[in-house]
Amino acid sequence: MGVSFIIQQLINGISKGAVYALIAVGFALIFSVLKFSNFAHGGLISISAFIGYFFAKTLGMGLFLSTLFAAIAGGIIGILLDTIGFYNLRKRKSPRIFYFVSSITCGILFMNILTILFGTTYYSMPNFFENPVIKLGTVRIVTLDAVILGVCIVLLVVLMIVIRRTKLGLAIRTVAIDDTTASLMGINSNTVVRITFFIAGGLAGVAGVFLASNYTIDPFLGNMVVKGFIASVIGGLGSLPGAIIGAFLLSIVEVALTIITGDVIAPAIIFVLTLGFLLIRPNGIAGKFIQEKA
Amino acid sequence: MNESVIVFTLITIIGVVSIFPLTGLTGLFSFGQAAYMAVGAYIAGILAVFYQMPLIVCGLAGVLGCGVLSMIVGYPTLKLRRDFFALMSLFLGEAIKAVLNASGNITGGAQGLSSIPKWVGLPGVIVGTIVVVALVAFMKYSRFGRMCLAIKTDELAAKSFGISVFATKMKVYVFTSMIAGFAGVLYAFYIQYIDPNMFGWTTSSSWVIFLFFGGTVSLTGSVLSAAILTMLPEMLRFASELRTVIYCVIIIAVLNFRPQGLLGDKEISDLFKWIKSKLAKPKKLPDKAA
Repeated sequence: MGVSFIIQQLINGISKGAVYALIAVGFALIFSVLKFSNFAHGGLISISAFIGYFFAKTLGMGLFLSTLFAAIAGGIIGILLDTIGFYNLRKRKSPRIFYFVSSITCGILFMNILTILFGTTYYSMPNFFENPVIKLGTVRIVTLDAVILGVCIVLLVVLMIVIRRTKLGLAIRTVAIDDTTASLMGINSNTVVRITFFIAGGLAGVAGVFLASNYTIDPFLGNMVVKGFIASVIGGLGSLPGAIIGAFLLSIVEVALTIITGDVIAPAIIFVLTLGFLLIRPNGIAGKFIQEKA
Repeated sequence: MNESVIVFTLITIIGVVSIFPLTGLTGLFSFGQAAYMAVGAYIAGILAVFYQMPLIVCGLAGVLGCGVLSMIVGYPTLKLRRDFFALMSLFLGEAIKAVLNASGNITGGAQGLSSIPKWVGLPGVIVGTIVVVALVAFMKYSRFGRMCLAIKTDELAAKSFGISVFATKMKVYVFTSMIAGFAGVLYAFYIQYIDPNMFGWTTSSSWVIFLFFGGTVSLTGSVLSAAILTMLPEMLRFASELRTVIYCVIIIAVLNFRPQGLLGDKEISDLFKWIKSKLAKPKKLPDKAA
């Protein structure tokens, strides 16, 4: 096992981690605003992967354009999800449990609609690049990985700037703290929630296309969302920087485990490691403890 | 309707009832309940196939194994926010599946474990279901069940009344996991064949969906909805994807328009009380002026 092999695997892992980070951030965003775990995120990923596939394969667009369209479509489906799944619950101020069930039902619904439309066969994205591999000395980097890593980092930086520095970000953070108070301050919390769903859906869309071009597309591609969940559990639920760090940590551990122990048993080991991590540091990396609302 | 549909329905009823104390009463979500079913089924099946143990030993080992596993999983997660628990229970399902797939020389891997002896027939499953439902009904009306409801409604208030939240959650979790394990044991000895894909998170979450369809705090509702939603599509012979879509649409409609579920918090005993009150002679109202 040479140095170049390790570097290759590391880059592969980090690029995977970047996609996990997109998933985890989309999930954490909804969590921080509405305080529930959005299990429908996987469904959004599956749907937008298929939309990306349509743009790339049928219309012959490049990676960037099809990702862009998939992201917009994902955002719109995110708003749709909010409308069918959560709008009524919010209006009625239902307990969080119902959000939970609603989200998981919507997730299953999305995936099964896709199964009816496309079957359980696998579809694969076209090759986007002339040179699938870049050589740097003895290190061979997959072009797709490098591009994915670059796009993800740019997206994450932009997102962090939006959340931290803009008026919209301020509104989102305010609603996350307390939506009633936010609406007293003149923030339309309903619109803010919609926008949050749009952003999260867009992130899911990008993640969907990237996952699709790394693996194959099938209606259950969205189950990869589990990685995003683990990342945000490690990072501390609802914390965006925590989720990003957690995602990279997870992907590197995963690549290491795949080399050491093999693919099949890796999820079990990661589960045990996460349990151990929660035992030592229950609030995740971010350490911010979100109190259960009484 | 053939026998296996009835048995499958009964086992689903046990599964849904196993979620009832956890989700319906305590407000904890488990998307890994089917994983316990898998653990119970595999422990019992392996003991029977490879070690020729008698039924009672296999069954006990399966159920107790689930109890031990749930303690290990519950200890770090039940102290945290409920979301951590729900997410970790989801990963538990994945992890169990990975272990079952990886240890192919014992569990048969993806091919599954076959030639398990057929030790349980329809009567056995019926008796098992009745016992489980009775046990859970008893638990709902016990002091312990009331404590669970208090935790679901307001954890802080429950704590201030001297209820140990963590200990109660832990007990409920171990109890329900053992019931799920019992369902697994019955399943293994009736169907005689198990493979890891039967127990994925879709099975677990469909149980949660059934529970919500029937009414979260109504045991009668959960049993009824499990029976109806499992049997109806079998009889109508829908494709399984279409069936799931129909479930989901129904659930979303229920959540949007009747969030307390079909029966809300009504139980079958309430029906008896209602009939009794109708049959009994109307009492004279006490005179207000007096």
